[in-house]
Amino acid sequence: MSDQAAESDLLLVCRTITKSYNGPVVLSDVDFSMKRGEVHALVGENGAGKSTLIKIITGVTNRNSGEMLFEGTAIGIEHSKVASQSLGIAVIYQELSLIHGMTVAQNLFLTKEPRFRAAPFIDIGRMNSLAQALIDRYGFELKATDIIDGLSIAQRQTVEILKALNSRASLIIMDEPTSSLTSSESAQLFGIIRRLKAEGIGVLYISHRMEEVYDLSDRVTVLRDGHNVAVLEKEQINPAEIIRLMIGRRLEERDALHTMCRSNAEVVLDVRNLCSENRFNGISFQLHAGEILGIGGLVGSGRTEIVRALYGIDRFDSGSIAYLGKPWSPDVASSIRGGFGFIPEERRLQGIMGAISMTGNIGITNLDVTRRHGFVSAKKELALARRAIELLNIKPDNPDIPVGNLSGGNQQKVVVGKWLIRDLKLLIVDEPTVGIDIGAKEELYQTFARLSAAGVSILLVSSDLPELISISTRILVLRQGCIIQEFADGIVTEEDVLRASSGLVEGAVR
Amino acid sequence: MSVVASKARRLLADFRLFFILLLLMAVLTMLSPMFLSIGNLSNVLWSVCIIGIMCTGFIYAPVTGGIDLSVGSMASLSGIIANVLMNNAHVPLALALLITLGFGVLVGLVNGIVTTKFRVPPFIVTMAAKTYLFGIAMLVSNGDTITIMGPQGFLTIGVGKFLGLPIPIYIMLVLTAASHFLLKQTVFGRRAIAVGANEVSAKLSGVDPDRTRIIAYILSSGTATIAGIVMASLTQQAYAPNGAGYEFDVITAVVIGGTSLMGGTGSVVGALIGAVMVGFINNGLNLMNMPASYHPLVTGIVILIALILNQGVTLPAILRRQFGRKDAPK
Amino acid sequence: MPISTLRRLILIGLFFVIGGILSFISPSFLTQGNIMTLLQEASQTGIVAIGFTLVLITAGIDMSIGAVIAVTAMVCVNFLSYTHIPALVFIPLSLLTGVAAGLFNGFFITHFKLPEFIVTLASRGILAGVALLIAVKDADGFISNVYIQDPVYLGFGGTVGPVYIVTIVFIGLAFLTQFFMKRTRTGTNIYATGANATAARLSGINTDRSIYFVYMFSGFCASLAAIFLSARMMTAMPEFGIGSEMDVIAAVVIGGTPFTGGVGDIWGTVIGTLFLALIKNGILKLGISPYIQPIVIGGIIVVVVVVDVWYKAFAENLSKKAIDRRKRSVKATVAP
Repeated sequence: MSDQAAESDLLLVCRTITKSYNGPVVLSDVDFSMKRGEVHALVGENGAGKSTLIKIITGVTNRNSGEMLFEGTAIGIEHSKVASQSLGIAVIYQELSLIHGMTVAQNLFLTKEPRFRAAPFIDIGRMNSLAQALIDRYGFELKATDIIDGLSIAQRQTVEILKALNSRASLIIMDEPTSSLTSSESAQLFGIIRRLKAEGIGVLYISHRMEEVYDLSDRVTVLRDGHNVAVLEKEQINPAEIIRLMIGRRLEERDALHTMCRSNAEVVLDVRNLCSENRFNGISFQLHAGEILGIGGLVGSGRTEIVRALYGIDRFDSGSIAYLGKPWSPDVASSIRGGFGFIPEERRLQGIMGAISMTGNIGITNLDVTRRHGFVSAKKELALARRAIELLNIKPDNPDIPVGNLSGGNQQKVVVGKWLIRDLKLLIVDEPTVGIDIGAKEELYQTFARLSAAGVSILLVSSDLPELISISTRILVLRQGCIIQEFADGIVTEEDVLRASSGLVEGAVR
Repeated sequence: MSVVASKARRLLADFRLFFILLLLMAVLTMLSPMFLSIGNLSNVLWSVCIIGIMCTGFIYAPVTGGIDLSVGSMASLSGIIANVLMNNAHVPLALALLITLGFGVLVGLVNGIVTTKFRVPPFIVTMAAKTYLFGIAMLVSNGDTITIMGPQGFLTIGVGKFLGLPIPIYIMLVLTAASHFLLKQTVFGRRAIAVGANEVSAKLSGVDPDRTRIIAYILSSGTATIAGIVMASLTQQAYAPNGAGYEFDVITAVVIGGTSLMGGTGSVVGALIGAVMVGFINNGLNLMNMPASYHPLVTGIVILIALILNQGVTLPAILRRQFGRKDAPK
Repeated sequence: MPISTLRRLILIGLFFVIGGILSFISPSFLTQGNIMTLLQEASQTGIVAIGFTLVLITAGIDMSIGAVIAVTAMVCVNFLSYTHIPALVFIPLSLLTGVAAGLFNGFFITHFKLPEFIVTLASRGILAGVALLIAVKDADGFISNVYIQDPVYLGFGGTVGPVYIVTIVFIGLAFLTQFFMKRTRTGTNIYATGANATAARLSGINTDRSIYFVYMFSGFCASLAAIFLSARMMTAMPEFGIGSEMDVIAAVVIGGTPFTGGVGDIWGTVIGTLFLALIKNGILKLGISPYIQPIVIGGIIVVVVVVDVWYKAFAENLSKKAIDRRKRSVKATVAP
């Protein structure tokens, strides 16, 4: 193929893109390209830089350096959302951005509603027929006059795609589009994607699901730690290989800790056949004292839902839980009293009260310790706060500072600290080190290790595979709401976990 | 930031309000020398006390992230109820006051339940309450201005003095101290602040947001009732429209005092100072011969300024927002 | 049948049922005079409610409408008393008062991102004071009761045939506004701003502009209502309109426009306005103490909102169950 032909084939070219957010480098010298009419999957672990690359392409944020060309035209560093839209780049996120209360047609034509020639009023008839024509062209079972509220997620996604098509997008980016779809809906989506491909539209597809990547993609780009480590052509695509590339070969100092082992200590939590409609099914496991039970799985596999049910925030439909040998019907207040601790997934939204001081944040979970006849001893609270600061080396060490002003790592330490100072028996930890610097991470890991050594059980949900396998003493992997594999003996690698999460058990995809 | 420096900064912030109050007094004295006279100050006193008493309970509504617009109507209604009980039904004083307070608690309970269990936004619930309480007040009193001549014990509440100071001041100070203590030193206070700061986080920490909010609205209506009793006693009058507009003054006082309407913070002492300032402003306007109906004009401007300042909006901040980088990591 | 249509039909049905009962109990109810008066009262509130509806659609609130009425009335009276400008000229000019108030509100809401409720509450206080300030006063400084004698002005309070002009304007404004909201880009943008401001902005809509627009329109409607009010009263007092917020809110709430924004149409407000006027008129005709009125109105607001909120939760629950059921039939994976 001559160079010129190759060039005109290219929809998007990114060369040596680098991006850092005030410090940590998120993307480093990344090359990336998309051809017309190709389905290109972008894969990588959490934190590998996928969403940042997308943000740079769509103008939500700007690169620090590197070149970007779309359809041959150079895109400056000061790229913007509006500019990317007018160029023909459309992006469909998981949180769909449709306007409720409006019809499909209205959503498709938002801000560009067709008007009468004579007067500046919307020609609803023409809008609907144009919309319907577009819908019919792709053979979707939608009516232009359907109201968004009544549509299923899959249908709404279709509307988003139609929106992109209506804006004459030549590149459509989809971020984990099948996470809320049933398998038949996913199949339909793939049909749509193939159709788009046939029309010469480029589809950039981000996914963790290996079977999809394998089925759909013409090419796959693998990102790891901010680098582009491989671009695979169709024949080279194979889920196991992709996983291997995502993980890479690492020289681990913590090899010893990769060994899983069953615990013989007393059973702290005995979960039998826990089910919650559409969230998880048939969950059974036992948690021993001093164990760190890691829970792995892809996003949406039910990990957070299970631990929230165990803690008592969410209800479950059936099954039983026994805590310390006695039947347990969880609700938050009694869980806390009983020795549970809970570190939620989203630090800023759920974990901390930003406007309130450290003392306040730590105190709110420890009222049973600091209270006396309805009054709270400020002295005791302060003492607790200081102890937490000391134990976790929280900086700055002034307990009066509003937690919102602390760095991410220190905020998380506050969240951990308020449990640490209690008489804990079971600590539930959900994605503890997202957005935290290395130093704080290490300190947290050491804290977990100390707790475990002291006999505290830890349930660790984490998408950070190195973290998961190096800290846990045993690992359960979830897939689509069920436990698909347990790693309780021998050495486990990140690949093992990722393969299990992706359903690659014994070579086949399930 | 060193501990000393942060403590000093906090002290300055706490006293900033007080300095502004002093400044206000200075300005008002300049504008009208009569301002500082004993006669005038005792005049201001009663409206300050009423607003101040209302603030002590009301503050829990914004602290939990809500608002209570019914405090004014509640106040005038409670005066009317108290009067009916004492002078029409000849119920003994103590019992009459207790029943009136009970009514206030009931109204607060209803407000709280409707806004938590039925998820109706607080301002709609309390605004509707404001209307129907007013209606009830008018109904019971037939729209008349009732002069309250007795019992003597009742009148003493408003008019009596103890150690030279009018009793309402003591009521206000005691309630302020109690509320301050409640907010800063009790389990409930901690929970109220947590619910307002981050309801999800509070729930994860074992707090029941519904229960906390219900208690907050009970407190708000309760102190409004007390304020209403004081008002009826002071003015020797029970008149349904008397309470109109107080909610505005109370909101202004609380906002000046540094409490955020979004929830999570609260300063009872600040609200007290705010109440004093609102009372002074209204009084000062009176002295400048601005009739009472003009006062909301000034209060409206004051509240806008206070809100903007509370947000930390300063000129540097505005400039930074206009010309800042769009690149901040999320 | 979509819930909103059902709800509307129930309201209309109730309207006629209550109306029927009233005409049975009170002989003077079903007279032309009373009906026209009822419609006139409704239109007075309704004109303001139309503007208010737009504000609600953006998930905002405008507490200053009553004060805008007062100020506008005072502006007119000033024109009358101090100038020779003909009514047909100064009346449209006075409508700018409301627009200016809306501009003020919109500024503080969009620029400083202050809560709409407090901003409009504050501007309500400010405008009420301004109304007093500019009121025409006599030599001693007391506010004089200016009697409107200008026939053109007074004409606004009159009738065309049996129907009051204000009623005609109300219905006309309703048609125009509904058409505007459903058939222009600006209208669509307002709905989008209220439904999902983030998505709206992502689609390129200037949400600030939409917000300015609705508050200015709300002010405009309030000013318009003021003209008719003062024409009918043949005078203008600075207390005009103060306290009318509850009626407007009640009308809109009954009509089914939620406070959460994104949905709502003018016809709902019209029905709500008529319903409210019926209730008020009924209370009057039945000889019940007028003090019952605020109790009933306050009570209705709470009941209607509770029912609406409860129903919405119920409907969401049902649809979630349906989606879950669909998913369940496809999902069963069993672990090894």
